[in-house]
Amino acid sequence: MANIIELENIEKSFGELKVLKGISLSAKRGEVISLIGSSGSGKSTLLRCINMLEVPNSGSVKIDGEEILLKGNGERREPADLKQLHRIRSKLGMVFQTFNLWAHMSILENIMEAPIHVLKRDKKEVREQALELLQKVGIADKAHAYPNQLSGGQQQRAAIARALCINPKVMLFDEPTSALDPELEGEVLRVIKLLADEGRTMLLVTHDMKFAKELSDKIIFLHGGKIEEEGEVKEIFENTKSERLRQFLAASGH
Amino acid sequence: MPDWLGNIIGQDLLDGLNYITNGKHLMWYASVRFTIIAALLGAGFALIFGLFGAILLNSKFLPLRGIGLFYSNIVRGVPDVLFFLFFPLAFEQLVEWFFALSACSAQELAENIGKWPPCPDAQWFLGTYEYLLLASVSLGIVYGAFSANVIYGAMQAVPKGQLEAARAFGMGPLSVLLRVHIPQMWIYALPGLSNVWMLLLKATSLLSLLQIADIVLWADRLGAPNYLKQVGLVHPDWRWRYYLVLFLFYILVTYLSERFFNYLRKKLGRGMVEA
Repeated sequence: MANIIELENIEKSFGELKVLKGISLSAKRGEVISLIGSSGSGKSTLLRCINMLEVPNSGSVKIDGEEILLKGNGERREPADLKQLHRIRSKLGMVFQTFNLWAHMSILENIMEAPIHVLKRDKKEVREQALELLQKVGIADKAHAYPNQLSGGQQQRAAIARALCINPKVMLFDEPTSALDPELEGEVLRVIKLLADEGRTMLLVTHDMKFAKELSDKIIFLHGGKIEEEGEVKEIFENTKSERLRQFLAASGH
Repeated sequence: MPDWLGNIIGQDLLDGLNYITNGKHLMWYASVRFTIIAALLGAGFALIFGLFGAILLNSKFLPLRGIGLFYSNIVRGVPDVLFFLFFPLAFEQLVEWFFALSACSAQELAENIGKWPPCPDAQWFLGTYEYLLLASVSLGIVYGAFSANVIYGAMQAVPKGQLEAARAFGMGPLSVLLRVHIPQMWIYALPGLSNVWMLLLKATSLLSLLQIADIVLWADRLGAPNYLKQVGLVHPDWRWRYYLVLFLFYILVTYLSERFFNYLRKKLGRGMVEA
């Protein structure tokens, strides 16, 4: 099966600080991969390198077989072809830790924004899909509310609907429940689980080991900007090889 | 005013009413239009210059940022009265200079060195409305520099995640600016912009400097002492009374502006900062 995401030897520094020290990974169609690791291990940065919210200092990113063109070197590296970048980004559904729903638009407008203004799709058709997606994530009654009128859990579900409405090839989740109160996590996790069961390709950065175990096909453990251990869920949890991962799992109650 | 009205309200009051509705006073009231046109047009220009200035200030490209910095810092540093005198005059003479290149013969140009305009054909006669337009542009340039600073600050205040989300969904820089950054900026810019508007409003009292017969010039004329019965009511120096009326006028407009900005804040604040 073809790889939808292929990262090769990704390195990223912020000034003196080396955050990613050469990471390669690939995701096949329909695969759910969780990136785990302690704070500062570079897992969020890695996810943000996939859609170039952070431009890696070296290494390459391929989405659906197409390499994102970059120019320049090191800190000065930047996308070489903005048209290509925007086209590729519009295939990646990103869900942020802090939701980042556009505050000046209603929930429905948020969801319809990219399909209409980036993908230039028909308004009526997009509206229908948006309403269906709101139904799916369980907040159909909030279509005309503004983001700040919703609870955190509802906002994150709306943000998931927004990402789904571009019919993405891959869903990228950047710690989707970390900003939520514990009692609101469940409703968001249920929606993510639903998407995994549909066979969507997903990359998930998370702290929630229980959830990663339940959901993922593959788990990647990052430590100090490198892949310390990776493998199938069963292997990772039951046949842990690295001492660091053992400690990490123990600390998070596994 | 009809004479029978005197029987009802008293002769003194009738005389007063007749005085404040005579031809010259009606001209005074009508001259409010110049103030209002200059204020609204000036505010429009200030907003346009301010937006462009702020976008320049926000630019990643150094030379563009330099132009923005030059504009907002230099123009803010110049006294508005001075700029008000300078800009329309400089603009008029610049246009006349261009005219002169084609309208005047080489001989005229050679003979009239040091004279302005170099030949009669190059003279540009400006009417009240041309001056009004130049005045509005001057107001726009000066207060645009203040607005640029306010809007720049407001653009910085928009949470980075909002812009990042727009980029992540494939929007280009122009779309991010027009569809997310600018729409979200207003709520942060509004308090500052309402201040700039108040300052601009007050600066409209400078219109008489450009020979526009505005409310201030008329107040001056009407309040001046009059000892000739043929001219009208004989009275000593009453200017302070007329100036007081102008105070009231400006306070009233300020009050109305305040209400307008409150309404805007509620409207633009939908979904944003709790108003």
